[in-house]
Amino acid sequence: MRKTMVSLLAGASFLALNSMAVHAQELTILWAEWDPASYLQELVNEYQAETGVTVTVETVPWPDFQTKLFTELNAQGSAYDMVVGDSQFLGAASTGGHYVNMTDFIAKHDLTKTMAPATMKYYSEYPGGSGQYWSVPLEGDALGWAYRKDWFEDPKEMEAFKAKYGYDLAVPKTFKELIDIAEFFHRPADNRYGAAIYSQNAGDAIVMGVENSVFAYGGSFGDYNTYQVSGLVNSPESIEALEDYRKLFTFGPPGWGNAFFAEVNTAMAQGQVAMGMNFFAFFPSLVNEATNPHAANMGFFANPPGPRGEDFAALGGQGISLISYSQNQEEAMKFLDWFVEEKTQKRWAELGGYTANAAILESEEFRKATPFNEAFFQTMFKVRDFWALPEYAELLTEAADTFYPYVVNGEGTAKETMDKLAATWVETLTAAGYAAK
Amino acid sequence: MAVVSTRAGRLGNRLAITAVILVTLVFLSPIYWITSTAFKPLVLATSVPPTVVFEPSITPFVKLFTKRAQLTAPVDPAVYEAAPWWEKLILDGGERLSRDGKGEIVYSAYPDRFINSLIIAVTSTVLAVSLGTITAYGFSRFRVKGEADLLFFILSTRMLPPIVVAIPMFLMYRAVGLNDTHFGLIILYTAFNVSFAVWLMKGFIDEIPKEYEEAALVDGYTRMQAFFKIVLPEAATGIAATAVFCFITAWNEYAFALILTNRRAQTAPPFIPSQVGTGLQDWTVIAAGTVLFLLPVAIFTFLLRNHLLRGMSFGAIRK
Amino acid sequence: MANLITTLDPASRAASRGWSDTTIRNVFVIPTVAFLIIFNVFPLLYSLGFSFTDFRASSKAPVNFVGFKNYINVLADPVIWRTFSTTLWYVIVSVTGQFIVGFGLALLLNRPLPFKGLLTTLLMLPMMLSPVVVGLFWKLIYDPSWGILNYALGLGPVAWLSDANLALYAVAITDIWMWSPFVMLLSLAGLSAVPKHLYEAASIDRAGKLYTFFRITLPLVAPILLIAVIFRTMEAFKTFDIAFVMTGQPAAELISSRLYKMAFQQWQTGPSSALAYIILIMVLCITNIYVKYLNKAKER
Repeated sequence: MRKTMVSLLAGASFLALNSMAVHAQELTILWAEWDPASYLQELVNEYQAETGVTVTVETVPWPDFQTKLFTELNAQGSAYDMVVGDSQFLGAASTGGHYVNMTDFIAKHDLTKTMAPATMKYYSEYPGGSGQYWSVPLEGDALGWAYRKDWFEDPKEMEAFKAKYGYDLAVPKTFKELIDIAEFFHRPADNRYGAAIYSQNAGDAIVMGVENSVFAYGGSFGDYNTYQVSGLVNSPESIEALEDYRKLFTFGPPGWGNAFFAEVNTAMAQGQVAMGMNFFAFFPSLVNEATNPHAANMGFFANPPGPRGEDFAALGGQGISLISYSQNQEEAMKFLDWFVEEKTQKRWAELGGYTANAAILESEEFRKATPFNEAFFQTMFKVRDFWALPEYAELLTEAADTFYPYVVNGEGTAKETMDKLAATWVETLTAAGYAAK
Repeated sequence: MAVVSTRAGRLGNRLAITAVILVTLVFLSPIYWITSTAFKPLVLATSVPPTVVFEPSITPFVKLFTKRAQLTAPVDPAVYEAAPWWEKLILDGGERLSRDGKGEIVYSAYPDRFINSLIIAVTSTVLAVSLGTITAYGFSRFRVKGEADLLFFILSTRMLPPIVVAIPMFLMYRAVGLNDTHFGLIILYTAFNVSFAVWLMKGFIDEIPKEYEEAALVDGYTRMQAFFKIVLPEAATGIAATAVFCFITAWNEYAFALILTNRRAQTAPPFIPSQVGTGLQDWTVIAAGTVLFLLPVAIFTFLLRNHLLRGMSFGAIRK
Repeated sequence: MANLITTLDPASRAASRGWSDTTIRNVFVIPTVAFLIIFNVFPLLYSLGFSFTDFRASSKAPVNFVGFKNYINVLADPVIWRTFSTTLWYVIVSVTGQFIVGFGLALLLNRPLPFKGLLTTLLMLPMMLSPVVVGLFWKLIYDPSWGILNYALGLGPVAWLSDANLALYAVAITDIWMWSPFVMLLSLAGLSAVPKHLYEAASIDRAGKLYTFFRITLPLVAPILLIAVIFRTMEAFKTFDIAFVMTGQPAAELISSRLYKMAFQQWQTGPSSALAYIILIMVLCITNIYVKYLNKAKER
């Protein structure tokens, strides 16, 4: 038995020595597996060509991204030098000491001026309004809408729509119009449906979707500075927004209770729905003839304003952060110096990344580059985000668990649902030590 | 069976064969669906209604072995003409190949992951089955103090939901430097499987009459010789079944492979389902990766089929 | 360690040649037991320790000892109880299904058949797939719009996975499909061990088929069948990947999914460890009952 132990330990320490060898000329970035990660790999290849420093973008499946990252961070692992992390991770990663404070870096490069304000606020600053920054906005993203231009512009449809609703069929100017249009095109007998929205009870899917309408309706998910939840989450505006989200859900394809970005795009590509809500990062495949037979008929618009004229959309996207346990921090900082240069940001946009650089976003060139860039540009200046507290994941799963039975199964009322969520959140926040009410 | 020789028996036999074939077809239909998806163009993988008849293409397999990105602009015809046939398939699918700084094509991690899987699954299976067999023999043939409790302890190591020990396991592995090593996953999977191997092998070895070995001992065999020459061949069915099950478990393990390993030792299961392009889950590539990944286990099982089916032949002198 | 083991089996006659029986027994048994102890004790004690604290793996906040608070909170949570009863029902449906299909298939296969080896290998294909992949593809197969199942069976738009009443059964069907072959193969091994002369004797006695089956076949196959069922029950209790990938219906949420959410999405390390121990105790109790039956079946 002792021998076994000794040989086991010997083997283990040998391997430990092996894995501790440090390669200063190599940097590793962790991200989720999707096209933007491929674009980033192509971008950093150019850095390698310039400097000789090898940068590898390592990816894991989206559903496991959070798990993988935090397991690594919690154990203070140095396998990754940088991570392109979700905005909600900020609280946990900064207060946990996992991310390097980038406030000086941000000031040095004047990023608060050059990046779109919302991206600095949500991808980088924590706590909100503190002036402490933890990342460089890398991939801007938000929820937008795709629609079938050919259906919208069909004269017969236009006439019928006008007769029924009393106004012209066009890109919806308000969220209420969007619901009318969804109802109008919802024809299950013809395998045509109104709208494909998020409904999956996992990760942030259904919560993102509800957020989109709650923000547009002037509702909110609470005051992130005072921790007030009651009266905001269950305000009349929020309740109305949830009710309408449920309505929109009923105009979706059959069995639409487990949908996230892939399902929405599939329904669009299969010509099933008139409109689809999705992250902008997922729109390129909709205009690609090879993946979407209806690519030529795709139009895009930003989340429309709510009934009282409030105009907001839900934010996605990620910033790149430096991991505190990295043994190559200096090298990584140099890389970030390069990354925020305007010419790099421009190249990033060319490769297919969504730069957060305000000047590039505002340029004609960018806005005309794809059919959805204009909508993206409009959206990025009106985004709002979810809680970014270290306890965000609890709030997120509680919200998903609360929304799902109402939105998908139609259990209870919107008011009951929001009241329940407010009560649950007050409890969770209080237990976590916040003065929530 | 003796009953087979009667006419009713023959009819029963024919019915049984028909039933077996029908059930096999039902069982295989999802596998067929996965396989056919591996040869479909992406748009047909989720067509409404589903596409059953189509012209097969090997594009998904080309995709599986390359790194790609969505085309954001039409391809330059000159580039298209100059591309080899397999790159044309990618371009036809609305994607382009990723290239590194020197313009070289970047290949996917699939082959490396596949090889890691082979190394780890094979080694851990050999270890688990060997340990399981000898331990089962020890428990079956000798008096071990607290045998029932020890056996239950061995079983209990498989009861805790594994995700719960993931964090302590990760910390432990990091402390001894086993994270992201082949050896780390090998001993982990061995630990997973050994409890199963002990229990299953004990079930089989208990059925082998002691009289066989005792006769051999009388003939001048040592206990070890008797174990190797009498017991092991008799237990071949059990060993084969245990090996197949252990191999399958180690081959497909997902959570720990994801958490405990990174680029060096990671196995294929976390790679296969991660084929999400810009907004469409690429079912065809997932299917292609799955089909190729199924082959080694299927071949392994097929090679062992005669052992699996031979059954235990010693029943005649059962007590 | 060596104290655990008593003196050698007196029946041995080979003690003088080669390794003694004691040596063989020690060499055969001790490494495995020691290996499992080393490998499991640390993580087990670690999580046991966690379960009495308010530790969050994601935070560096000081860890406080909270006594049995986590256990009390977990047991007071109605959602946990809902997932417990869902899981229990799921285990019953799924393991019974696997038992019936698997053992039924074994009975059918237990005769001379052409291409028997090939058929058995083909039947075992489902369990050779990775559970995550199985979950993903069954989600595709079940989809009301682009899934093949409703289309092939002409069922119309049945929303298998997003219908609160169907989701759990849809997951169970997938699990049965995947794991029946496991029961089948083990049953087959057990069946082929039934001595032919017992059947011959029974047929001379003109015993009915049912009688032969229940009095001869079943008792002889019982031990290996029980081992199969023990392992399937334990695994079904821990089912996570398949269900998690396939559906988000609260009515189909299994205890392991809840555990995963607590442990890895919310990083409530303390409470999730407490929940894990509660699950462990439940599985221990259930398995214990099985093992008792197993020992009885062996005594026969």
